[in-house]
Amino acid sequence: MLYIKCPYCGLRSQNEFAYGGDGTVKRPTLNKEVSDKEWDNFVYNRKSPRGKHVELWHHISGCRQWIKVQRDTVTHEIFKTVSADKEI
Amino acid sequence: MKSQSPLNKIYKKGFYGDFENKNEENLIKIKEVSNLSIFQIVKYKNSRVSINDLDIDGIKLSEKINSVTSKEKTRILWFGPNNWLVVSEDKNLFHKVNKNTKETDFAVTDLSNSRAIIEIEGKLIKEVLKKGCPFNFNELNKNNCINSVFHGITITIDMIEDSPEKIRLFALRSFGESLYHSITDASLEFGYQSI
Repeated sequence: MLYIKCPYCGLRSQNEFAYGGDGTVKRPTLNKEVSDKEWDNFVYNRKSPRGKHVELWHHISGCRQWIKVQRDTVTHEIFKTVSADKEI
Repeated sequence: MKSQSPLNKIYKKGFYGDFENKNEENLIKIKEVSNLSIFQIVKYKNSRVSINDLDIDGIKLSEKINSVTSKEKTRILWFGPNNWLVVSEDKNLFHKVNKNTKETDFAVTDLSNSRAIIEIEGKLIKEVLKKGCPFNFNELNKNNCINSVFHGITITIDMIEDSPEKIRLFALRSFGESLYHSITDASLEFGYQSI
């Protein structure tokens, strides 16, 4: 089981969190022409990296905040957690 | 229309589990708490108002994580950033707070009828909670509160007293029966009294 340090509540069990996907995906800029490929990449295409990866997690059974987690996808070691509006 | 408490159909007074040959004082005591005013206060992200300006039954909102501020009838639980849960015996408190807060600064939502509350008391209650909740209960002291899960049910734990230990568990009303069964099942080993 993973233990994730929520930036608001402290160290909590993974049971309290919901995985929210890749934390590096950026939405195409608003009011700007977007190609089908760019939209496709934003909605569907994801990388599956081996090693350090930034992910979104939702502390759904805790403070209900979204957070960013830098996790190693091989060892599951968690290096850093920040609130969702900050960059890792 | 008469209001019904969430657990009124399953809650029965008596002694259960391994209670024989044990001092009644040392048994875990479980009861349902109802008829409380429960409401959530959320401060909007864009609001410039200081939370120190808001007075609820003589209590200020606290920004300290997992903390509870309290007075005789009212307890205010930190629920998350800019988010608090007010639990009070004063049934008019919601209307007072709703009247005294600006709609543009705070969202005040009445949750009185949407929560089931179970109060458990006794020396072994942390042992009961450890069976279904992954939180480190060594860190939970008097006037602390946490949101967590108990056997998959999202719960709020409010530590009211530490000697003897007394805890209030809040769950969504529809999960109340499941939570009650989970808690009483976990308490059978120690013996408990429904009061």
